[in-house]
Amino acid sequence: MIEVTGLTKRYGEFTAVHDLSFTVRPGEVLGLVGPNGAGKTTTLRSIGGIIPPSAGSVRIAGHDIATDPVSAKRALAFFPDEPRLFEYLTIRQHLAFVARIYGVAHHETIAQPLLEELEIADKADELPGALSRGMKQKLAIACGLLHGPSVMFFDEPLTGLDPLGIRRMKDSILKRAQSGAAVVLSSHLLHLLEEVCSHVLILKRGEKIADGTITEVAARFSNGDPDVNLEEVFIRATGGSEN
Amino acid sequence: MLGALLYLRFTSLKNLLLSRVRRLRQPKYLVAAIVGAAYFYLMFFRRMARGHNPTAPQIMGPAAQMVPHDIAPLMLALGALALLVVIIFMWILPSQKPGLAFSEAETAFLFPAPVTRRALIHYKLLSSQLSVLLQSLFFSLIFNSRGLASNRAGHVLVGWWLILTLVNLHYMGSSLTLARLIERGVSVGRRRLVVLGSILIVLVTTIGWTWRSVHAPSAADLAGAEPLMRWLLSALDGGLLHWVLFPFKLILAPFFATDVREFLIALIPAFLLLAAHYFWVLHMEVSFEEASIAQAERRSARRASIRSGNYRIGRTASKARRPAFALASAGKPEIAFLWKNLLSTRSFFTVRNWFICAGIVILGSRIVSGFGKPQQAALSAIGIGVTLLNLYVLAFGPLIARLDLRADLANADVLKTYPLAGWRIVLGELLAPVTILTGIIWLGLLTSICAIQSTLPLPNWLAPDLRMSYALCFAALTPPLVALQLLVPNAAAIVFPAWFQATRTRGGGIDLTGQRLIFVFGQIFIILVALIPAALTAAILIFVTQWLIGLMLATIFATLVILLVIVGEVWCGLWWLGGRFERFDLSAEQRP
Repeated sequence: MIEVTGLTKRYGEFTAVHDLSFTVRPGEVLGLVGPNGAGKTTTLRSIGGIIPPSAGSVRIAGHDIATDPVSAKRALAFFPDEPRLFEYLTIRQHLAFVARIYGVAHHETIAQPLLEELEIADKADELPGALSRGMKQKLAIACGLLHGPSVMFFDEPLTGLDPLGIRRMKDSILKRAQSGAAVVLSSHLLHLLEEVCSHVLILKRGEKIADGTITEVAARFSNGDPDVNLEEVFIRATGGSEN
Repeated sequence: MLGALLYLRFTSLKNLLLSRVRRLRQPKYLVAAIVGAAYFYLMFFRRMARGHNPTAPQIMGPAAQMVPHDIAPLMLALGALALLVVIIFMWILPSQKPGLAFSEAETAFLFPAPVTRRALIHYKLLSSQLSVLLQSLFFSLIFNSRGLASNRAGHVLVGWWLILTLVNLHYMGSSLTLARLIERGVSVGRRRLVVLGSILIVLVTTIGWTWRSVHAPSAADLAGAEPLMRWLLSALDGGLLHWVLFPFKLILAPFFATDVREFLIALIPAFLLLAAHYFWVLHMEVSFEEASIAQAERRSARRASIRSGNYRIGRTASKARRPAFALASAGKPEIAFLWKNLLSTRSFFTVRNWFICAGIVILGSRIVSGFGKPQQAALSAIGIGVTLLNLYVLAFGPLIARLDLRADLANADVLKTYPLAGWRIVLGELLAPVTILTGIIWLGLLTSICAIQSTLPLPNWLAPDLRMSYALCFAALTPPLVALQLLVPNAAAIVFPAWFQATRTRGGGIDLTGQRLIFVFGQIFIILVALIPAALTAAILIFVTQWLIGLMLATIFATLVILLVIVGEVWCGLWWLGGRFERFDLSAEQRP
């Protein structure tokens, strides 16, 4: 469960995110969409506990991320658009390190099936330098999923993946949501959101323009047109420009 | 076409300068700029002003006579020799960089554009002139600041410009020539053989010629500075060496000219030499594009790496290493950071290697001390040297060993998602450098204990048993002392991340110099402030208690108290820094 209330993030005089509120329940996948500079990544980083919000509150699995960050972070996994890996650790060593940080007992029994699911088991003793961009992404995902998070944040999860990787990533997100995880993902790929997300939140210049189920948001901007797709909804909602 | 390229260069420069000036609106950059400006004023401009003021005390005589006439020929010959050495190294140890280096944006925009090769070379030559001019000014300020304030200012500036332009052009020419050899299928080994062989032939012939024509220095030559200089000049200016150094003397001659007329005449051959280099570079038919693109990509990746906080420049892991110990899934999470960071160190930092070294030290010192008094004295000298080295490691090791938060700033986003309190992350990150530096210092201590022999009469307070107790007390204090030292640069990286990143990058600017100075003096000041309470307490305790319980017990007692004080300080530091790390927002610092 993710509960965001009045989230605001300011950089000096510039407001990146303004008074944003939304809730994501277990099993729901919320898609964050918006033009470039709308505040999607800032929102994700704020609710993921990476950067401190200027105002507002974020509760992850019932824990306030500002007052009880350790408990909140124990329940979440954050997947940045660019996989951040330790260049001196092999895949297997990454998982051992993460297991110790999260206190995952007997992590090998969880790690091996995870590596096989992500198809990087045969590279387990390789350093990140020897991996392709897609494989690095998979390793970052394996590290994030090792402790069985109930809340997941994905920032542009399909960047750098090949078509097969994209398919597997979509399946993986849906599988986690179906097993009860609350997921927020940001992406410019609207067809991905249509396929994966149960809900959508449109941001523009740091402010919420619309949110709800895809059907609800589409209905709001369809002007009576029954065949309107998310791309058309996005263009109508944002006025067709970043500003 | 060249106009457009120069527009690109000057607009980029203008925008860079404007952004630097705008940055001064932030107090932290303004303060750094003021500190940097004060440094430059005190170090260089004040000397210039003194040189300009006829009433001010002169250290080296009147400003107009910066290069005394009697030593000018020798300096000219020595300068030419230095230039020759620089040029020889360009051929023997060629740089991996291409002769004509373009940025990634330049390769993307200019290489596919309808720009002639000649225009690209001209653009690069003119672009390089900007840095050459700045370097000329910088070198003049450092080495000839008083000359700049005299009527020789033109000689000095133009002199440095000629030297640096020649070096720059020769570097381009040599790189392109070597690239051409490779292009023509000459292997690296053969190329080295040809280059080294040619240089060796010239050197051997020159040295042989000089050896025959110049007599060895007699007692009269070594009687004073003046005859020695005369002999040196005759050696450097005689025989074949005179002709080998001749072209370099042509470039240096304007710098050493005594009046305007001599200066103007000296300019003619110097410019002819530069013109020859220019035609050499311009007409070198070799492809530079591919090497430039590869270099631009490497440079761009390095910059991106630095911007994202990764300071392990030039070090990329290529082979997986065995961990120093097996990491269990359960246990203190801080140990996971120690385990991870030890994996990023050199492979010889292992417990096994430490014990092997300790064994060699103990056994070696035993064997050597059995030989006799001279050997024991030599061993003692080694022991004293190692003790001094140990103090150096304690003082500067924490600045060099960066296997902590400083190296992991690139992964700050990942670290912040971990379910750990900030202080635990900071503590975990400090463990690896503390362990490694402690290991090194302990090994040094062991060496000192084993090597320093009591061959000399020493005061009572340096008796062997007391020396041992001092060493053990120092050993006990080492880990918290190292941790305390490490806290300062790590705090700097978290509290001033933009400054910290800027100081890790190459480049200049008054504000950057100021930032570096503030960091260095800040580190020294904070460590002194942190150590003063502990040192005072220890001094008072030893002074008071040694009369009651003896010096050894007093030292041990004082050490325990110091230990408590420093551990307390480290703990407070960790707590505070952990809190700062939890609130750390690199994105806010990186916004313009």
